[in-house]
Amino acid sequence: MAKTSSSENDDIGNDARLELWRKQVEIRDCEKRAYDLFLQNLIKGTSHLSLGQEAIAAAFGVAMQKGDKSFCTYRGHAHTLARGVPMEAMLGELMLRDIGLMRGKGGSMHLTSVEHGVMGSYAIIGAHLPIACGSAWRAQYLGEKDVSVCFFGDGTTNIGAFHEALNFAVIWKLPVVFVCENNLYMEYTLNADVTAVASPAGDRASAYGLEKIVIDGNDADVVYRSANVAIEKARSGGGPSLIECLTYRHSGHSRADPGKYRPEGELEKWKERDPLIIYRQRMKDFGFADAQIEAIETESKRKVDHATELCKASPAAPIELLTADVYADGGWAWRN
Amino acid sequence: MAELSYRDAVIRGISQEMERDKNVVFLGEDVAKAGGVFKATVGLYEKFGPLRVRDTPISEQAILGAAMGAAMTGLRPIAEIMFSDFIAVCFDYIANEMPKIAYMTNGQIKCPLVVRTGNGAGVRFGAQHSQSVENWTMMIPGLKVVAPSSPVDVIGLMAAAVRDGNPVIFHEHKALYATKGEVPDGEIIDTLGTAKILRKGKDCTILALALMVHRAMEAAEILARVHGIDAEVVDVRSLVPLDTQTILGSVAKTGRLFTVEENPRLLGWGAEIASIVADEGFWNLNGPIVRITTPHIPLPAADHLEDLALPNAARIVDKIVRVMNG
Amino acid sequence: MANTIIMPQLGETVSEGKILSWFKAIGDDVKIGDRLFEVETDKVTVEVEATVAGKLTEIIIGNGVTAKVGVTVAVIGGGAVPPAPQVADTPAPAAPQKLMNAFEEVATPNTHYGNALGPEGLRITPLARRLIVERGLDVKEIARAAAAKGLRKIEEKDVSGFAVQNSSVQHFAPTSSADGQVITLNTIRQRTGEKLAENWRTIPHVFQAIDVDFTEVEAVRARHKERFKRENGASLTYLPFIARAVCIALQAFPHVNARFDGKSLILAKDINLGIAVDLNHNGLVVPVVHAAQDYTLQGLAKALGRQIEKARTNKLTPADFSGGTYSITNNGAFGTSFTTPIINAPQVAILSSDAIRKRPAVISTAEGEFVAPRLIGTLGQSFDHRAFDGAYAAAFLSKLKDIIETKRWAGELGENT
Repeated sequence: MAKTSSSENDDIGNDARLELWRKQVEIRDCEKRAYDLFLQNLIKGTSHLSLGQEAIAAAFGVAMQKGDKSFCTYRGHAHTLARGVPMEAMLGELMLRDIGLMRGKGGSMHLTSVEHGVMGSYAIIGAHLPIACGSAWRAQYLGEKDVSVCFFGDGTTNIGAFHEALNFAVIWKLPVVFVCENNLYMEYTLNADVTAVASPAGDRASAYGLEKIVIDGNDADVVYRSANVAIEKARSGGGPSLIECLTYRHSGHSRADPGKYRPEGELEKWKERDPLIIYRQRMKDFGFADAQIEAIETESKRKVDHATELCKASPAAPIELLTADVYADGGWAWRN
Repeated sequence: MAELSYRDAVIRGISQEMERDKNVVFLGEDVAKAGGVFKATVGLYEKFGPLRVRDTPISEQAILGAAMGAAMTGLRPIAEIMFSDFIAVCFDYIANEMPKIAYMTNGQIKCPLVVRTGNGAGVRFGAQHSQSVENWTMMIPGLKVVAPSSPVDVIGLMAAAVRDGNPVIFHEHKALYATKGEVPDGEIIDTLGTAKILRKGKDCTILALALMVHRAMEAAEILARVHGIDAEVVDVRSLVPLDTQTILGSVAKTGRLFTVEENPRLLGWGAEIASIVADEGFWNLNGPIVRITTPHIPLPAADHLEDLALPNAARIVDKIVRVMNG
Repeated sequence: MANTIIMPQLGETVSEGKILSWFKAIGDDVKIGDRLFEVETDKVTVEVEATVAGKLTEIIIGNGVTAKVGVTVAVIGGGAVPPAPQVADTPAPAAPQKLMNAFEEVATPNTHYGNALGPEGLRITPLARRLIVERGLDVKEIARAAAAKGLRKIEEKDVSGFAVQNSSVQHFAPTSSADGQVITLNTIRQRTGEKLAENWRTIPHVFQAIDVDFTEVEAVRARHKERFKRENGASLTYLPFIARAVCIALQAFPHVNARFDGKSLILAKDINLGIAVDLNHNGLVVPVVHAAQDYTLQGLAKALGRQIEKARTNKLTPADFSGGTYSITNNGAFGTSFTTPIINAPQVAILSSDAIRKRPAVISTAEGEFVAPRLIGTLGQSFDHRAFDGAYAAAFLSKLKDIIETKRWAGELGENT
């Protein structure tokens, strides 16, 4: 049982903190398992991990309500888990099994769970930013109160769709939150080398009449507070926000990439600011007992192992799925 | 019954659907207050208001992306891409996003929307504003593609497209906007995936689309009157789904197939149909399958050159006579 | 509890890696996260860390050696750690169902109506070809008429006006509603069928049969069949016994092993024995064992087995079909009493052996006559009555029976009593 927060002015509260800790731990453990499964050739194709970037997905996951819509990139495992998708559905999709979220039809880069508000993970850079605008337009048009949150990387800020979407969202005052996870690197290139401004998202905000917001993406509390403000602004009709979260990825761009282009010592320096190290200390600072903190970690590992077993036992999807769901009626007939 | 222009038919078709379903919304460049650069959407803004008929910035990717996001979450948008050539500007949504989302998400997400666009040549706009690009959309699995040739078909196919539940690319023909046709009163709903035999005949089958339908009909009249060749003219109307049964049935009857295509030669829509007939309908062929197309060139702006490039009745007649008598 | 360390999957298109250097030696302790080895692929060089703890007990793929992804490169033994997850292949999906539609989006027609190049060097359109076949027309006549008109090709219009020419040519009536499924013969059946019809029409067949007691043959066969199977991989059936007996009998009745050309009977020097092999109800082929008279029973059994196997696996060559002088057809599998086979011209006879099974027989002994169960099979021979007459043929069958029933088969199989 947690003690009451040591600070009387804790705007976050015990429940949210437990959630923030749990989500980050589970994302970390699940992503590490995905790493191992890829090396064992049980996850095929490609896999883009969020190791080191857990705080952002977790914080927004706690801040968003049921019914809010999230749109993320092909580096979307964390965001999918953060919205409550069961681990076996996520890992199962990576392993391309029938138990997977889309029964193996989409794979790692396209994780989708409408039930949890995960409205797709998008592989073409920038494509989902206008799509998130469309979702927000729908909410505004129908008078629905959900908010669309759109996650993307630093490299996205240089593609055309980013700029079209920002302008679009502002002029129609859409209930959408744009979240840029600036992990400093595109694929193998330092984003700063190819961007005209220092803060790829933050320094573009003013071009669209938005406030420059650049925050520490590795501190879940910081992200959580920022998320709440932006989501509330959108929900109450205040229009879009653009938030740049500074973070770092521990692994390469994808599984094929050992990340050797990073300068000596950079990874180690960022690992000292590992979101989980920060948040474990934060939990202690706010009076949570070691036992409680560790219980969450133990439970997380148990869940990951259990999910792994379920996935390994799952068969591949039946081959009828090859031609299923090309069209809305479930079929694929292009001729009579 | 009334006589309606093709452009007024566009207005009527969109209007019919927006009246029927509050979730049908419409966005595009200059479509609302100005009523569209081709005046094909005049009056919709006044009738349905600024929340349902929206002007956008020049942002083709945002137009299609927003239409898709809205369609994915509950609306039934109609999006305009002003000139079909601009499909190249937002091709990611046409090729990668809209047609694949249902498949990749195992049916969780659907994309019920219509992209209507001004296609085709004959109005002296030059190479980047005159292309026939039905094949750019026909070739992507997951899309549906229609190209109406008459006002009544515009309304009926627009209704079918809006109600279909899939991403439908609706190719209107710029040179047909001013043409007129008989349109019945009341609600008009057609069926995607159906071709229409506009002229029954027994000697040869001519397939055509949009503007070329009119030229094929003109050619058929000359073929009959001057050359004693009784041509059957089929308006393909729907490229995806394709009405192969009507096409194969016609060729089974006549033994001869000609296509009249406004697109440049290589991989135009007729090439695919020729391949299907040469396969499934091989033993009904009494002669080679011949495609009559615009040559494989960008289109010129000069009027006499543009008119020379596109198939016209004289060229269609000449080719068919030579092949049939060869 | 040993854990296998495998060559990891290092990239979407990488299939193998070369271990550049091991960071641990055999006997070293390994903790989770320790660097184990450095591996190079065609795209990238990566250090692989341990995911289990223990002692490195075995290095299977050493420095400088390349191995495919998934291959075991080392073993980490001992330690109270859970074993590394097994490398499991994706479980095979349930038995695949027919996906005909996805890969047959266009219904290619099954029937072929002939080649584009016709007689007189004229090309024929697909439609014309189809009509010619469907109406049973004579393409040569149509081509002559077209050529006479100076046409360069034959179209539909050039096919109308011709009636069915040859009443013996099958007239394809339009399918009536009384018709059921249409089964088109495959090429082998068609060719075989034409030959059979010709042989039946031209050769005056006479059929004779004789009952043969196989009890003694079976006794010997039973003693040797398992050894034979072991040594030769093929079964020792009744066929080699019958074939060997036929070879011996034919040497006494050479007119049965001959060719008839309409005027003369040409006796063959060798016995080239043809064996009819059923291709799983998909047609019949008759491969030949040449100079069968030179084989012992065991040799003949092996030679027959080889030809039958080649027939079933579609490995027969033209040489396998040439020079047959006498044929045997085995029809016993379904229990038939006798079969009247069709002769393979230019041979003059063919033997059918049918079911061999227990029948009541009258046995004469010193103590009197008794009815006892004996293994009896009916051997039937169709012969060309132009080549020889019934008495000769019957005597041949009698000799055959005698050989089968009284020959010392045990000696042929190595028994020396």
